[in-house]
Amino acid sequence: MKISLFIPCFVDQLMPEVGLDTVRVLRRLGYEVEFPRDQTCCGQPAFNSGYWDDARPVAERFLQVFSSAEVIVCPSGSCTTMVRNFYPRLLADSPMKEKAVEVGRRVFEFSEFLSRVAKTADVGAAFPHRVTYHDACHALRELRLKQEPRELLRHVRGLELVEMQYSEECCGFGGTFATKFAMISGAMGNSKAGNAEVSGAEYITSTDPSCLLHIDGILRRRNSKVRAIYLAGILAQTSSAAERRAGAAATETAR
Amino acid sequence: MAEIENASREQILARIRTALRQPAPRHESVQRKTIFAPVADALDRFQKECAINITECVVTPNLGASAAGVKDVLASIPPGDIFVQDSPELRRLAEKWPEGCSIQWSNEGAPKESSQATITACDALVAQTGSVLVSTACGGRGASVVAPVHIVVATIDQLMPDLDAALARVQERGIVSQNSLLCLITGSSRTADIEKILVMGAHGPRRLIVFLSLA
Amino acid sequence: MSTASREFLRRAAEKSADLTHRETLRRVVDNCNTSMESGRTRFADWEAARQRCHEIKWEALNNLDRYLLEFEQRVKERGGIVFWAENSAEACRYVTDLATSRSVHKVVKSKSMVAEEIHLGPALEKVGIEDIETDLGEFIVQLRNEPPYHIVAPAMHLTRKDIAALFKEKLGDVDTDDPQELVAAARRALRRAFFSAEMGITGANFLVADAGMIALTTNEGNDRLCTSIPRIHVAIAGIEKVIPRLQDLALFWPVLATAGTGQPITCYNTLIGGPRQENELDGPEEFHVVLLDNGRSELLADAEQRDVLHCIRCGACLNACPVFRTVGGHTYGTTYQGPIGSVLTPHLRGLNEFQHLSYASSLCGACTDVCPVKIDLHHHLLENRRDAVRSADRPFTERVGFQIWRWTMQSARRFELLGWLARAAMRVAHGMRLEGTPLDPLGPWSKNHASPVGPKKSFRALWGRANGGN
Repeated sequence: MKISLFIPCFVDQLMPEVGLDTVRVLRRLGYEVEFPRDQTCCGQPAFNSGYWDDARPVAERFLQVFSSAEVIVCPSGSCTTMVRNFYPRLLADSPMKEKAVEVGRRVFEFSEFLSRVAKTADVGAAFPHRVTYHDACHALRELRLKQEPRELLRHVRGLELVEMQYSEECCGFGGTFATKFAMISGAMGNSKAGNAEVSGAEYITSTDPSCLLHIDGILRRRNSKVRAIYLAGILAQTSSAAERRAGAAATETAR
Repeated sequence: MAEIENASREQILARIRTALRQPAPRHESVQRKTIFAPVADALDRFQKECAINITECVVTPNLGASAAGVKDVLASIPPGDIFVQDSPELRRLAEKWPEGCSIQWSNEGAPKESSQATITACDALVAQTGSVLVSTACGGRGASVVAPVHIVVATIDQLMPDLDAALARVQERGIVSQNSLLCLITGSSRTADIEKILVMGAHGPRRLIVFLSLA
Repeated sequence: MSTASREFLRRAAEKSADLTHRETLRRVVDNCNTSMESGRTRFADWEAARQRCHEIKWEALNNLDRYLLEFEQRVKERGGIVFWAENSAEACRYVTDLATSRSVHKVVKSKSMVAEEIHLGPALEKVGIEDIETDLGEFIVQLRNEPPYHIVAPAMHLTRKDIAALFKEKLGDVDTDDPQELVAAARRALRRAFFSAEMGITGANFLVADAGMIALTTNEGNDRLCTSIPRIHVAIAGIEKVIPRLQDLALFWPVLATAGTGQPITCYNTLIGGPRQENELDGPEEFHVVLLDNGRSELLADAEQRDVLHCIRCGACLNACPVFRTVGGHTYGTTYQGPIGSVLTPHLRGLNEFQHLSYASSLCGACTDVCPVKIDLHHHLLENRRDAVRSADRPFTERVGFQIWRWTMQSARRFELLGWLARAAMRVAHGMRLEGTPLDPLGPWSKNHASPVGPKKSFRALWGRANGGN
């Protein structure tokens, strides 16, 4: 199975380590990974702001770039949601409507791919720290991921998973919401940061780097001891013994 | 009554009809599933629900015992007018009540604002929620709200397992078509508008007491 | 930017910074949500209940003319009068004309969001009629000269101390902050009103077509007194409140209670189908039902958003919304707050003026998940935004911005180039310590965040290097 990487535009430009860690984990499990260089963006920023006529050509281009991909994996719940759940809506009157539905079946968020396609909870990771998980909204409510990322974290050697209060509450990013309604967004983000601190965790993680970009900026502004790290950033860390074990088991699945 | 002038009526209806030419999407359902677990033991469930919603439920062997129970309640409340629904059953029960009781029968008029208690029958009891269903036939509208104490005299055959059954019953028996008001009462008047703290006895009765006789 | 939008931003900033207010709000909303969660467990299948409620409301709204006519017919059969009002002005005029022609001096009102919507209180006062709110929460905010804070809990933002001070000043006969005593004081004051008012005004939670009855839901019983003692009863309801059958209430009553307050069922669920009948011993001599359009038939015509009219006004979406929980009900400045308010208000009062409400959301979807009639609330926010872009005023810079964005994203090379430039600018700004100054390119972002440092290499550049440029 060859995986085509769908790297969100802001990850590509601002958080490349998110993409690199995602690749590391997938390769460790024995998957062949390619990156269609022609990709740019899924169109979500324009779509969410109501600029559907601007989003549409960008979405159609996305479908062309990924039209022959076998499986598409994306380190972002919100971008995955855009393609799978919203493209059929956005492209309802487009000749690419069927293509949208069809590609939607082949695109997966990273943790979703690991749990529901690779069916692997143990990716051979080691990360001896206390970690709390933030339920990103799209991943939780549109992709229905709740236990899956947690299962992956539970299998990480040395990792202690602690639940924070209101883990399902929105962090307040919401794309342009963070700048248009900065005061509300900031209050929500600080609430989230406060909950992470009170939980006793050293790290906060999630399926969505957009949430983490926002939470991280707030944590650093607060001089917090808690640090934000993307899910693959944890799963990419190994002790070599764990890696070998996981690699051997997973290579079989990947074929 | 003469027809009132209402030009907007036709305009609104016309707009509605035009609007509905376009069908609206619907969420698809998979299969019919049970929404409420069926009520197994109605009497037991009724009593449990009354405890939860703070209805004082007294189960008695017969109406005579209910009458005695009512008498005890009347003795415990401050003296004053007692408004009673005028029905043959309640007239019979009243024979057991204290002489000094100032009874005002419903056929004499609406309950006085100063009434200390009202006593009525009901149209049904609902086990699912521990509720009492009354209508204007049960002593009028004010009877179930005006006084601080409302006493309901009911019999076991009036106990319905759930809301479905209770609503079906009042429709079948013409209670809906013959009365201008029905009310499903569950517990006594209350409010949580102050800091979400539950306080009993807002505008309606502070105490709702149901005497349920098994015969 | 509309006036309403500017005001919203100002209030939102104020409330977001008010930590005491946020703490109070958090506590109250948590209480509501915990109650609702436990209330849901009383259903064998809450999801099935939601689906069935959705179906019944769909049936009602998609056959609205038929059911409204059935309702009207049956109300008239029992001597009630039905008046169809095009808009707020017409509805208010009907009620004030009726009141003045019947020598009404005092009105007691049971909680009605529609009465708020049409500003009935001021209309009555204008013709010299005393208007008294009888729901405790509404009574409290009326004394404070404030609009209701939440569609179900109008005074949720006040502490007992606030209310005690208010009652001491306005009612005089209370000198404690004990909730029991406060309620008793309100009861005393309002009882005088119930027994002296000539007209009682209520809303209607449901308009039951086959029985020709309005359904009212309260815990306090104030609606019961409003409809038993005064000689005239006027019920005002939006045309969308229809349900086909009395039997449907066996589901809606528990669902409304669960979603609204977490109770298994509310204390008083009343059905009223007419004035006092010939054989009845008390009750009003007249019963009027005012059916209000006020923009609803227009929303009905929008097939994509018709389900917004399914709303049963339970308030669950307000309690689920993290934005509501941060800024509170008064920030919205509208009759309907929270997610339903943000979806509905642009339709009822104009997209141009109120589009900002549909933008003031992170689209988290908690509202959609919780809605007992399965309205796609957050998707409707997206649709309102789309409509705003198509037909309302959006900032010029935003329109141009997204055109540039589109042009950029239609070419990988342009995307790479502009991305590189943006990162370079960020590094320069960071090096020059521009963060927080007027020259900060990330101005709004820096308000809350320590800025990210623009990485030297993008993912695709790093990938290219490591993978031989594929």
